[in-house]
Amino acid sequence: MIDYLTLTVVMIGATALLLPLLQVIKGRSENLPGYVLAVVLAASMVLLGLFTLNPSSVSWAGSLLIPDQLGGIFALVTVGVTLAVTVASFDFEKSTSNPVYYSLLAFTALGMVLLAYSEDLLMLFVAWELMSLPTYVLAGFDKKLRSNEASVKYAIIGAMSSAVILYAISLAYGLTGSTQISVVAMRFAALLSTSSQSTALASVSILLFVAGFGFKMSIVPFHMWIPDAYEGAPTTISTILAAATKKAGFIAAIRVLLAITTFYALTHSPLFTLANVFAVLAVLTMTVGNISALTQKSMTRLLAYSSIAQAGYMLIGFVAFSNAPGSAAASLGLTGTVFHVLNHAVMKGVAFLAAALVLLQLRRADLGAYDGLGKRMPITAFTLAVAFLGLAGVPPLSGFWSKLLLVLSVAYGPYGWVALVAILNSAFSLGYYAWIIKRMYIDEGESPEKVKEPIWFVVVFAVMVGLIIGIGLFPQQVINFVSGAVNSFAG
Amino acid sequence: MSFVLSLLIAFPLLAAPLVYAVGRMDKRMGIYLSLALSGVVLLIAGYVFWDVYASTPAIGQYALQEKYSWISVSNFGLDYFLGVDGLSSPLLFVSALLTVLVIFGSRNIIDHHQAEYYSLIFLFEGAIMGVFTSLNLILFYIFWEVVLIPMFFFIGVWGGPRRKYAALKFIIFTFAGSTIMLLGFLYFYMGMSTPTFDIPIIQTMLQAHQIPVALQYVPLLASFIGFAVKLPLVPFHTWLPDAHVEAPSPISVLLAGVLLKMGGYGFLRISIGLFPNASVQYAWVFLALGLFSMFYGAIAALLQKDMKKMIAFTSINHMGFVLFGAYATLISGNYLGIQGAIFQMFTHALAVGSLFMLTGYIQHQAGTREIPLLKGLGTTMPRTAAILVLGAAAAMGLPPFSSFLAEFMVIAAGISASAITAISILVPVITAGYFLWMIKRTVLSTPEPGHEGHDMGWPDVAAFAVYLIPLVILIVASYLILSPALPVAEFLKELGR
Repeated sequence: MIDYLTLTVVMIGATALLLPLLQVIKGRSENLPGYVLAVVLAASMVLLGLFTLNPSSVSWAGSLLIPDQLGGIFALVTVGVTLAVTVASFDFEKSTSNPVYYSLLAFTALGMVLLAYSEDLLMLFVAWELMSLPTYVLAGFDKKLRSNEASVKYAIIGAMSSAVILYAISLAYGLTGSTQISVVAMRFAALLSTSSQSTALASVSILLFVAGFGFKMSIVPFHMWIPDAYEGAPTTISTILAAATKKAGFIAAIRVLLAITTFYALTHSPLFTLANVFAVLAVLTMTVGNISALTQKSMTRLLAYSSIAQAGYMLIGFVAFSNAPGSAAASLGLTGTVFHVLNHAVMKGVAFLAAALVLLQLRRADLGAYDGLGKRMPITAFTLAVAFLGLAGVPPLSGFWSKLLLVLSVAYGPYGWVALVAILNSAFSLGYYAWIIKRMYIDEGESPEKVKEPIWFVVVFAVMVGLIIGIGLFPQQVINFVSGAVNSFAG
Repeated sequence: MSFVLSLLIAFPLLAAPLVYAVGRMDKRMGIYLSLALSGVVLLIAGYVFWDVYASTPAIGQYALQEKYSWISVSNFGLDYFLGVDGLSSPLLFVSALLTVLVIFGSRNIIDHHQAEYYSLIFLFEGAIMGVFTSLNLILFYIFWEVVLIPMFFFIGVWGGPRRKYAALKFIIFTFAGSTIMLLGFLYFYMGMSTPTFDIPIIQTMLQAHQIPVALQYVPLLASFIGFAVKLPLVPFHTWLPDAHVEAPSPISVLLAGVLLKMGGYGFLRISIGLFPNASVQYAWVFLALGLFSMFYGAIAALLQKDMKKMIAFTSINHMGFVLFGAYATLISGNYLGIQGAIFQMFTHALAVGSLFMLTGYIQHQAGTREIPLLKGLGTTMPRTAAILVLGAAAAMGLPPFSSFLAEFMVIAAGISASAITAISILVPVITAGYFLWMIKRTVLSTPEPGHEGHDMGWPDVAAFAVYLIPLVILIVASYLILSPALPVAEFLKELGR
């Protein structure tokens, strides 16, 4: 019987390796590598979808990978975003070296798929690097000063976060003698009853995991690189960073941290618990993100800070989970996190792509370019408006439901204040989202002339706006699916 | 299971893109199509109104219920739950009626982006129908928020010179209010022993005394802020004059006639209907706030020079009656208060709606709305002037307009709560005073020489008749509204005992 997952991995990997060869073909259609990658990614999505609907519970590749539904959701989301970016790149990335560009995209996608299914710390680290290294290059792909600066900054911070994760892995291995996540988690629990020194080391290891993953997940205070990198990188690549690799950070954190939490309280002190750590990080992240977003003057930076704020909402599920693993609230919270990851990938992905199109056509990224956009680029403006309302959590768009689940998961019990802060933040965030919508539809632009909206962008916009509204109106099926995946992971 | 209410919501929402598409191709066609489609909605709403009247739902019951599970995950569930009773059916009908009239009245006033305008009107109408029929708090909140979106664009795109300021102020006030309201709902939900968002189920629990009064204070305060902004209640009213002055006059009709009713409806359905014990304890505070709003609105209206701003303050004054009447019933047990409040919402929508539309005509034809500059309308624009006089008579509560009956009922209920509230009789007196003074200055004065006015055509006169004739009919046939409203009043009164 064919194993769809193996087939997907081989297919994307082979495409990644072979795409640069297209460079030598003279007189090829300039978008040929893009078409190839798009077809491969679309086929991968079909295969992953089939695989996710009928998962096999046996461990795979010598218990390095666990092919469960939760991994399937993240693989689908990340490959889906990569596909959207690939399609949008047909118009955006016209340089002669674009086979390399698409090849690097394929490598990133491969890394993210493997990361989604990783069940072993070393596999996870390798997949993490496979995902990250191509994005360092892609961030500098514009070969402009800004872009190169972004690339270097991102690479240094990325290397540091990899080092932190590796250090955490080495501590975990030293303490438990295993790199398999489930074994590490169980032995950590056993440590709790033994010497205090090992307990302290285990806590350090967990906190290092939080920090290391936190860089990719854009958690405050590990977020400093985000706005600069998103702004400097080609905007399509910022889309990958915000909507795909960030989500990969989340699946890594879910796999590692939440497995550990199931067994482990950080210390014996009632104050210094993992749930408290997540609660503080969540509140800090959403608040800092939203307040900073309000003061931005460029669209990519605004989206970057909004992306940070959204990571704060996603962390709420971690709070609910680590507060009472195994409870209904934990399952609700983790469902909310995964659902919000999915929704955010669509909403933020399409918002970044819309910003990319504005940058491409108007050559401007400042917010002034958005004045009167409703008349100049009606489809783009409408897309942005829907995405923004969804990000703000306006019902009945998809973002509302995932936020509602997240808020409800912590509303009862000791973390009610996190729910309150999240709701206030959500209301506050509408301030800058509505402000942009106002600029697009009510303010007058400097010139009223229409701007061309390329067909491939329009296709991507239509699909993603359809998802935002469709999931918003009929959330039950998606929620059922996500909560089934979460329950089989956590239960 | 009936599907009429879903149709009532879905029909306008589906009409919106259709009207947009047709309007883009042919502006004239778009307007005719809008009129026809809004007429269909009016027929559906009329059916609902008649159904509620003919088979008046028993105390605490809702007619035409629809209930489906929307989402359910873990221990959390949410229903798509609709229903109507004697409180919502008049509001549904008057909203649908005003929408038809607004579309008719907009045809010469809205001169750009017509396709967008008419399709937003249908979005607004669908959301309003949803607000008045939702029996699930979250569903209610969703429709409540959707209403804001078209209104923001109405003011921001088609408004006057300070439209951006007014639109932002409107959205900030109402959005802040509704967020606080949502927080209150969530707090209430979490405190319940068997959590639910379904209004009828909560009310059954209330009747069985399963919801302690201690749980009701916070959501009562939170929902009060949400509804007080919409009603609007002094001191939450400052967005209203700005919004009205800047909004095009058909939109002012929707603002005053429909949007403000959301506040009154919310007070009756939710503040009293879900937090009755706490409401009874603080009934005097709400009564006093309503009374203060009535006086404040009336006195502020007296001082206005802009005719539209004057009518805006009249709205504050009239909507104060709604709150006053509702809580007077809670104190005295006299049903007239809540019945009168429901009646007042209906009559205010039509009376003040006609006046707002009229200011649009007057500005369009005479070039100004400033009362001191409008002279001799009686001779230059006799038909306009006649309707202005009739509309003012309806607004000040002069028989044979049924506004008289509504205000009378509210004041009577107030007096049975306490004799001191008899002071409220002064409010209609002041109202009559400023309207008569306005008429004296604009209609009965001598026109400035060389000032030729263009009077309105007969189609418009007919449209204004549609505003005012129901008010005359209802003073005879008041039972159409009052008899379905009676079980609502009894229910709300008994709930807090």
